[in-house]
Amino acid sequence: MVEALTSFIRDDVAKGIIGVQDGAKYAPYLLSIFLFILVGNLFEVTPLINFPITSRMAIPAFLALVTWVIFVFIGFAKNGFSYLLDTVWPKSVPIALRWLVGIIELVSVFVLRPITLAVRLFANMVAGHLMLTLLLASGVIFVQHVGDIGLRAGIGVVWFVFGLGIFVFEIVVAILQAYIFTLLSAVYIQTSIHPAH
Amino acid sequence: MDAVLALALGTWQLLAQLSGEINGSLNLVGYGLAAVGPGIGIGIVVGNAITAMVRQPEMEGTVRTTMFLGIAFTEALALIGFVLFFIG
Repeated sequence: MVEALTSFIRDDVAKGIIGVQDGAKYAPYLLSIFLFILVGNLFEVTPLINFPITSRMAIPAFLALVTWVIFVFIGFAKNGFSYLLDTVWPKSVPIALRWLVGIIELVSVFVLRPITLAVRLFANMVAGHLMLTLLLASGVIFVQHVGDIGLRAGIGVVWFVFGLGIFVFEIVVAILQAYIFTLLSAVYIQTSIHPAH
Repeated sequence: MDAVLALALGTWQLLAQLSGEINGSLNLVGYGLAAVGPGIGIGIVVGNAITAMVRQPEMEGTVRTTMFLGIAFTEALALIGFVLFFIG
């Protein structure tokens, strides 16, 4: 199991996205964030805990910041100052539009990338946690108040079963979000090694 | 033309007087609007990925990875809307 995870991250994500030569170097970092986020996400569907640690903004924000520092550092280390210059003044774009594309690229690469990386994980986990809490808790509360509302408490059973269906869906989301965070980190590192064409 | 305009204006004012203020959470409306575009976008991404996988089954792994990337980029807008729903 561990070997399958390790070889999946190293071969499919690191070597598949970043490239065969450079990929192995970044595999340990990608594996660390993948496993950390995966375990953090799976707390959401662990009975009696039911709280994903990644649904507090500090953790996704810090992880996204680490990825940001890594890909900006690699960009400057591999390409020198032309990394920034190619971003704000892209040669492949017609000259009349270069300033506009440059501004958009500058904002999207250095500002929006870490923000969306953090917000994606955070919002997915908050949404899943909210949905599970609402459905399962309303199921329990309806059934507990069976004396006050009579047969209408039966709707609580429906909510609870629906919540259990969402439970399965959230296991998929937890794994998928860990994978997507790792994948996007790999893509950002790859675009820093080989900047836009 | 003026008569039609005046009639429309009068109807609008009457309706506004009758219905009063619009109540409810504007955040919820904003989140609903923010979910429309990404919904369409993810549909297009996944649909085209399925077409690509069916046409070239040997490229399935690559297509799936790219599909998840596309979903992740498209989904970001909806999730930003979701966050603004809480903080807005």
